[in-house]
Amino acid sequence: MQRLGRAFRTASRYSTAAPAESTAWHNPAAVLHRANDLRFEHHDLPEEIPRGYVRVGIRALGICASDLHYLHQGRIGKAIVDRPMVIGHETAGQVVALGPEVTGLEVGNRVALEPQVPCWHNIYPRAGRYNLDPGMKYFATPPVHGALARFVDHPAYQSFKLPDNLSFEEGAMVEPLSNGMQACRRGEVKPGKSIAILGAGPMGLNALACARAHGASRIVITDIRDDNLPLAERLGAWKALHTPMMSPAEAAQQLTSLLPPYGPDTVIDCVGHESTTQTAIEAVAPGGIVVQVGMGKDRANFPVLDVVFKELDFRGCFRYTNTYPICLELVSEGKIDVSSMITHRFGFSAEEIAAGISSGCLWKLSLINSNKALKSRASTLL
Amino acid sequence: MAYRQCLKRLQQSAATQLASSGTSRSFAADVLAEQEPSLWRSSAAVLHGVNDLRFEDVAMPERVPEGSCRLEMKAVGICGSDVHFWKKGRLADFVLTGPMIIGHESAGTVVELGPGVHHLKVGDRVAVEGGVPCWHSKASREGRYNLCPDLTFFATPPTHGSLSQYIDHPAHFCYALPAALTHEEGAMAEPLSVGVHACRRAGVSPGKNVAIIGAGPIGLMMSLAAKAFGADKIAVTDVKEDNLALADSLGANVALLQQPHASIQDVAAALRTALPPFGPDIIIDCAGFESTMQTAMAACVPGGKVVLVGMGQNHMKLAMGTASCREVDLLGSFRYANTYPLCLNLMESKRVDVTPLITHRFGFTAQDVAAAFDTASRASETGAIKVMFNL
Repeated sequence: MQRLGRAFRTASRYSTAAPAESTAWHNPAAVLHRANDLRFEHHDLPEEIPRGYVRVGIRALGICASDLHYLHQGRIGKAIVDRPMVIGHETAGQVVALGPEVTGLEVGNRVALEPQVPCWHNIYPRAGRYNLDPGMKYFATPPVHGALARFVDHPAYQSFKLPDNLSFEEGAMVEPLSNGMQACRRGEVKPGKSIAILGAGPMGLNALACARAHGASRIVITDIRDDNLPLAERLGAWKALHTPMMSPAEAAQQLTSLLPPYGPDTVIDCVGHESTTQTAIEAVAPGGIVVQVGMGKDRANFPVLDVVFKELDFRGCFRYTNTYPICLELVSEGKIDVSSMITHRFGFSAEEIAAGISSGCLWKLSLINSNKALKSRASTLL
Repeated sequence: MAYRQCLKRLQQSAATQLASSGTSRSFAADVLAEQEPSLWRSSAAVLHGVNDLRFEDVAMPERVPEGSCRLEMKAVGICGSDVHFWKKGRLADFVLTGPMIIGHESAGTVVELGPGVHHLKVGDRVAVEGGVPCWHSKASREGRYNLCPDLTFFATPPTHGSLSQYIDHPAHFCYALPAALTHEEGAMAEPLSVGVHACRRAGVSPGKNVAIIGAGPIGLMMSLAAKAFGADKIAVTDVKEDNLALADSLGANVALLQQPHASIQDVAAALRTALPPFGPDIIIDCAGFESTMQTAMAACVPGGKVVLVGMGQNHMKLAMGTASCREVDLLGSFRYANTYPLCLNLMESKRVDVTPLITHRFGFTAQDVAAAFDTASRASETGAIKVMFNL
């Protein structure tokens, strides 16, 4: 195995610790052992695929800010990496084997994986809000293994067939796009409503694309950097505003003057900095909705009296439910262009992963090259 | 006459059972064909065909399935649908094609746990929710598992019901009874769930006047549920006066007996007058006939809701144009989802008292099954509202 340490050294040649028997599934993976200790090593697969599960050869995987956070900090809040964990959760691949009692999927199907497995038996999934299930198993949220591996076993019902005109990369992008979809649902985005999105990173851009799909036409997106504002305009922003060094009051004032008379009906904060939360509350119109997606400090100061006087709904937004079918359809119909958000591509080897991680950017990366990854016995099935 | 015929058949089948006990396979081999032979035997009320309900022995699996528990049933109520299957062998698109244990309103006590069950223990008294979805359908994932196309439901063919000494059931659909509730009340959580679900569909809340058409068991449960949901005023109406006095004592503000030759418009006007100032915001039709639906749509305030629960008739002629111009919403309501914990809570906190609805009680023998079903099927003569088995 190779350790990809702080300086992202790479060893000369990958060697697996797995047994050399021909029946073993050869499964290299990117495994996080603790903060800044990411290793490219063999990850065991179950001998038998669980009932209802499919084994998927991973073909594309995007890296998210949360993956990098676990990598550098070893934790997010109370979720701590205290044992080795495969990273990565935005993924698509090809079914290479079926577990018992799988219906609806066949070997060879190209699928996008919704990276969460609820337990279904408490009130949240039963009420249709399975994203809140306390028993949730989510890829690459400790202790659940993620998908930056050659193969992953996953429930068939959470593996969604890709339309023929979607690439694996686009399939993987359905995951971050789903976050944008959830934000728009929480924000009740619809025709006639004016929308402000704070932050033009991947999250903001996905929210923007979904807001367009929900029929909003007056969408203003802001960022303290101007790198992504041209892309934001291509993705459908009515105005993309550069807001460097602005106080919340100033930024709110800008938004209100752009979206008169009362400001945006819904503000989606994709940054989660105290200043953006404040901006959102100050800018939003009375009776409006603030959707808090971005995650910053645990405790933040914000103008709670505004929430009272304006009768605002201040709504959290966490992951997503029931978004994969609609997101796949929107991409397939050309209504959302997710490929434009993919800026860097890397292959699937120790060196490539190290390069990808250390490129330091939060842009969607596409890891895992296409054919070389499937060298095990599964390749004869394809 | 029908009662004596039914009793004779039940006695014959019980006698045959006793004669063949322990040797050849039981009648239930057809009922539960794939189960292993086991020491567990359960007496059950098994519907074989129209008017052919038998009290017979069924074999229980040796092992309780993973995630399930084995229950000793203690209280099972009879519903109009059970009677309908007995009399007609079918209900809408559900057709009896083989022997099926009847009954679905039930409560029991845990006697054995299957593997993987941790939230219950042997001896726990539980109310049993008989509809189990597959969880992977769109409906289930969106929180409306009552609409799951692969849902299995007690005593809806081909799924066996719960009028049986023992059943195995997924543990997550067995809800622990609070100490203050009896098994009978646990069984009543099922029809109460129908009421609760309809009230949720309709948005019953303070500020809303509610009219309920039909004062049968479901209409009366609906009235209890609507009161618990805070409806301003509740009017219950029926063409027969049998249960209207009870509706009154259960908390309805108005119990309206319809005159024999009253027109739809007359009844609608009477409902509007009964619920000032504007009439019913919500009308819940627990009878489900063309006439009752026409009445509901005529009586409802503009912008209000008509909820159809009763299954009297399928095809109806309705003044949809008028409803559309008045923006009256027509909502279907089918069974229930996520209601059991609330129902148990409503009964425990005494916001709902279901016991006045239990009018007849029986034990669990061949004679009891025959008599109970006969009583339930002739409700207008026997005065039956809820017929309850105590096993």
